Amino acid sequence: MTGLLWLASLLLVGLSGLPLLLHRAFAGYPLSTRLVLAGASGAALVSFAMTAAVLLGIPWNVPGLVAAGAVLAAGLRLFLKPALVFAADAPRPPEPGEAPRVLAAAALSLIAVGAALGATFAGAATSPDLLFFWGPKAQQFALARTFDAAFMRDEFHQHMHAYYPPLVTNLGAFASMAAGRMSWTGATLTFPLLLVFLAAGLPGALADRLGRAHAAAIAALTIAVISCLGVEADIAGNGEMPLLLFETLAIALLISDAAAEPPTQLIAGILLAGAAATKVEGLPFTISAAALFFLARPRASRPFWPAAGRLILPAAVMLSAWFAFGASRRIFFGYSGYGTLFDLHLDHARVVLAAVGRSLSAAGHALPWLVPLGCVLAALPLTRRWILPVGTAAILTAFFLFTYIHRPEDPSLWISWSAARIFSPVAMLLALAASLGSRGEPRPASP
Amino acid sequence: MKRDSPLSTLDSRLFFVPLIGAAILVAFTLVSLPWKENLFRRPRTIFDRSAASAVAPGYALVAAAVPVIPAGATVVVRTEPRDPIAETYYHRFADALLPGRRALPASFYGRFAPPEVSRDAAYVLIVGAKPAEPPGRLLLETPEGTVWETPPRR
Repeated sequence: MTGLLWLASLLLVGLSGLPLLLHRAFAGYPLSTRLVLAGASGAALVSFAMTAAVLLGIPWNVPGLVAAGAVLAAGLRLFLKPALVFAADAPRPPEPGEAPRVLAAAALSLIAVGAALGATFAGAATSPDLLFFWGPKAQQFALARTFDAAFMRDEFHQHMHAYYPPLVTNLGAFASMAAGRMSWTGATLTFPLLLVFLAAGLPGALADRLGRAHAAAIAALTIAVISCLGVEADIAGNGEMPLLLFETLAIALLISDAAAEPPTQLIAGILLAGAAATKVEGLPFTISAAALFFLARPRASRPFWPAAGRLILPAAVMLSAWFAFGASRRIFFGYSGYGTLFDLHLDHARVVLAAVGRSLSAAGHALPWLVPLGCVLAALPLTRRWILPVGTAAILTAFFLFTYIHRPEDPSLWISWSAARIFSPVAMLLALAASLGSRGEPRPASP
Repeated sequence: MKRDSPLSTLDSRLFFVPLIGAAILVAFTLVSLPWKENLFRRPRTIFDRSAASAVAPGYALVAAAVPVIPAGATVVVRTEPRDPIAETYYHRFADALLPGRRALPASFYGRFAPPEVSRDAAYVLIVGAKPAEPPGRLLLETPEGTVWETPPRR
């Protein structure tokens, strides 16, 4: 029962995003997509409100945090012009034979979510990391109603990575305060819960460019990739699923026709900020996705500076607040590395590549990467937008290899338990890239 | 009678290729679920059928100890026989599952900690067989291990 209450309380953060997503600029999205975007934006905003409250010395309480998130969303709404016409306002007429295709794809998505749910319920998808650091910090912060600096400094809590960005522990603390205590089962069930949200929201985010049937098929592929990876690599309760939720929705928006619209760019920026505030690797993802957007979508990203502000400022503000906390309490001053920045151990390169290969093979024979890669190849030639997902995947891959080669000791063991999980966004990006097959001129965006 | 124009070959390929990819992955995921371990039987712990199932006994014992270890107490988790890697895991589990208590490590980062680190623990959890020399008063015994209250130090 506590687990259900814990999970249900997470829905409250979605309320915070509603003032923004109720704006008519988003009226062209299906209701399910709008609600999922509100939930994800609300989660990022509530997490930021929690960090800001700590900096201001205000103890957390659930209603206050929901209200603070909603005020932030309402404030951001002021940046949207009331008379904006959104690209998706004019829905595509149904294509012949569309309904059965959409149903078939939706059924596959549902089965994929069901598999994730079954594995999680069976205790077959949980990683010890939930007990090592995500959960204990969330629980302690909920008890303290703030970031517990003494807990973070404790010499026996070094393994809790005090510098890890705060969103997962913030939302865990939020749910624990609302439910009265931490629920470990509830935390694991965030994997199927967020996956079902993604299954509900993703098709609508892709449909303006692809049409409903093709969008449903790409969404089914993406959900199947994440479900398979989550079960094979044990991500239930970890930061991976929230990270994938933010990243998938952000990229889906940025490769859509609507990405030329400031409101879509703003929501994508909030989602990228959510990714950056979820895991360390969310920051390189955010930077590369924002930078490659300008390369992949030169017309959609004009004028440059306002678009850059919408995409990057939310992440910059959220991470600045986190690092301001760490520095002001002298707990951390940035992300911890494994040595001097360019002190690479190139003699480990072969070991690293072999270990990464073994780790990805062990996760479903690497099918979660190979299948979407095959779909990308089958969709060739791609539109110019491929630069965004494929380029981001390439930059992430380079970042992960750089990180592994950085460690003075043999990194094989580390890679064996981390690579499949941290490379999961690469598989998701390939799945979305498979939607970029050239099918003639894209629909013209509204002015 | 003329039918509606069918989707083009290109459109069909763009739809069916990802759909078939999704079907392959969903089928693989379903097959990989632990059906042989009675998938629908409620697990004792959240790790029972995961790749980390070896740590499930420690999780079960620490979770079972919650009612018998008071708030503010110091606690250490050991294994019998001693295993520094498992003890490292279980120290972290104690941090997670026993909020409000202070968990002292018997082992840290895969190495035995000096005995004085956990010497003052008021409660000792032992995952595995009952020790030959009881560390104090037995409070709880489960299939996964035992929980002891140590005598107060003078």
